[in-house]
Amino acid sequence: MRMNRLSSRLRATAIPALLLAVLALAVPGLAAADSDRGEVNQWLERLAPALNMTSYRGVFVYARGDQVHSMQIAHRYRDGVVEERLVMQDGGSGEIVRRGVNVVCVLPDRGRIRLDQVIPSGPFAEAFTSQLMPVSRWYSAEMVGEDRVAGYEAVEIALRSRDEYRYSHRLWLERTTGLLVKSHVRASSGDVMEQFQFTSLEITDDIPDEEFEIRTQGREISRNLAADDGLAEASPVARMNGWELGWRPDGFAPAAAPRAGRGQVVAFSDGLAAFSVFVEPAGRLNMPKGVSRIGATTIYMHALESGEREFLVTVVGEIPPATARKVAESVRVQDTLALEGNGS
Amino acid sequence: MDDRLRETLSAMMDDEADELSVRRLLSHHDQARVRDQWQRWQQVRDLMHSGHTPAEGVDVSANVRAALDGRSGAAHHRVLARSASSSSRWRWPAVAMVAVALVVGFGAGAGWDSREGSATAGAPEIAAQAVPDSEVAAAQVREVTLQGLDEEQWEQMSQYLLEHAQHNSVGAGRGAVGYARVVSAGNGY
Repeated sequence: MRMNRLSSRLRATAIPALLLAVLALAVPGLAAADSDRGEVNQWLERLAPALNMTSYRGVFVYARGDQVHSMQIAHRYRDGVVEERLVMQDGGSGEIVRRGVNVVCVLPDRGRIRLDQVIPSGPFAEAFTSQLMPVSRWYSAEMVGEDRVAGYEAVEIALRSRDEYRYSHRLWLERTTGLLVKSHVRASSGDVMEQFQFTSLEITDDIPDEEFEIRTQGREISRNLAADDGLAEASPVARMNGWELGWRPDGFAPAAAPRAGRGQVVAFSDGLAAFSVFVEPAGRLNMPKGVSRIGATTIYMHALESGEREFLVTVVGEIPPATARKVAESVRVQDTLALEGNGS
Repeated sequence: MDDRLRETLSAMMDDEADELSVRRLLSHHDQARVRDQWQRWQQVRDLMHSGHTPAEGVDVSANVRAALDGRSGAAHHRVLARSASSSSRWRWPAVAMVAVALVVGFGAGAGWDSREGSATAGAPEIAAQAVPDSEVAAAQVREVTLQGLDEEQWEQMSQYLLEHAQHNSVGAGRGAVGYARVVSAGNGY
């Protein structure tokens, strides 16, 4: 008993170190094989449709840095309509229910969450579908092998970045449906910086209506995604009103993104990773300058002077700090008035 | 230090120690070694979990003793009195945490709750630093520690994270991963 306790403590300490060592060894050992390129692409093509068109229920965990969250999800695709219900399993209670284009979000009243911002808005997977394909230009895709996740057979795919401007990814897709059941974001060293994984999963078309009903008591906020279409479709270039980006890594294109009230933000995506650039007058914001990281997410804050005004440029994304810095420092303000007008 | 004492320490960390063992531990002749062991484990544990090591260089034994004896020092009078009156069967870690908090001056009183956000938010930073990262070193950029942010700055930072997560769920949306990022950004404290 006594020794058990001691040895279990030792084990707890040793396991992460061991895991890292194993990962570090495993990554360079991967052999690139042309023969499986076709197979990889077939799997990647299935990824996007599978996200919407598979019906399943389960619990997944999401971890970045040492934040860990778990959520319960039910997802049903029936007659062309996606229904989804997510229930937070830790921290504050709350849930998100989606039926087609209607999203209802119920969260407890307290906390720092600005409720209106938690609701994902805009066309969900459409933007993703169109962007997925060129992924292999920026990442080299390989079949790693087979694995088992949450009781299901899965294929493991490595997407290694071809340059130092982005992180590498690992995707686990369930064998019969192509559903994403696990994913990693990894640094070039092989360290896992962000992970997502189902811990329990049942892929079934038999999910009753009541599993998509709201059960949490609290403030309820609903939003119709279709109503936002006008904004979502607006040219991202028009939204870069008054400033421009002097540099961005190849492959990152302005992404269709909702506006959350703030005028001067544009999101860029290469199909897998994304970063957002915020530009606003420094004004009353007294933010420290430099880089912060939470798992794979980098936040880079940069002060920019233009004319006699000072602006705060913030880059947030699942990209290496050096990339975020380069992007932030390349921002040029062309029209301070346009920024002043919309910035706050 | 013998194995039995070591086990008591270990059990204390897991919230499983009984009062008798704790008393035995506190009366051990070599308090410095007991303290060292406690701090080492605490550090390992903190690194693996929340990241903070308030136990460093702090001797909590006096406060624990006081708690065991039912006395209350001036500094932790209010808190201990409350925990003692609410239930006679107190739990060790609760007392220890309060004692540690008071000694370090970290989150005394109401601050324990309100600063919790920034405190745990800072944890990933520590975890990140433990992993050598050539990219950061090469970039030579200033690291902004999240726990150094004041309330307003943290608010602003989480808003950036949230908005980005929202773009992510749409732009590079991966279904559940996108949602998870949104929730993590909003809830991540």
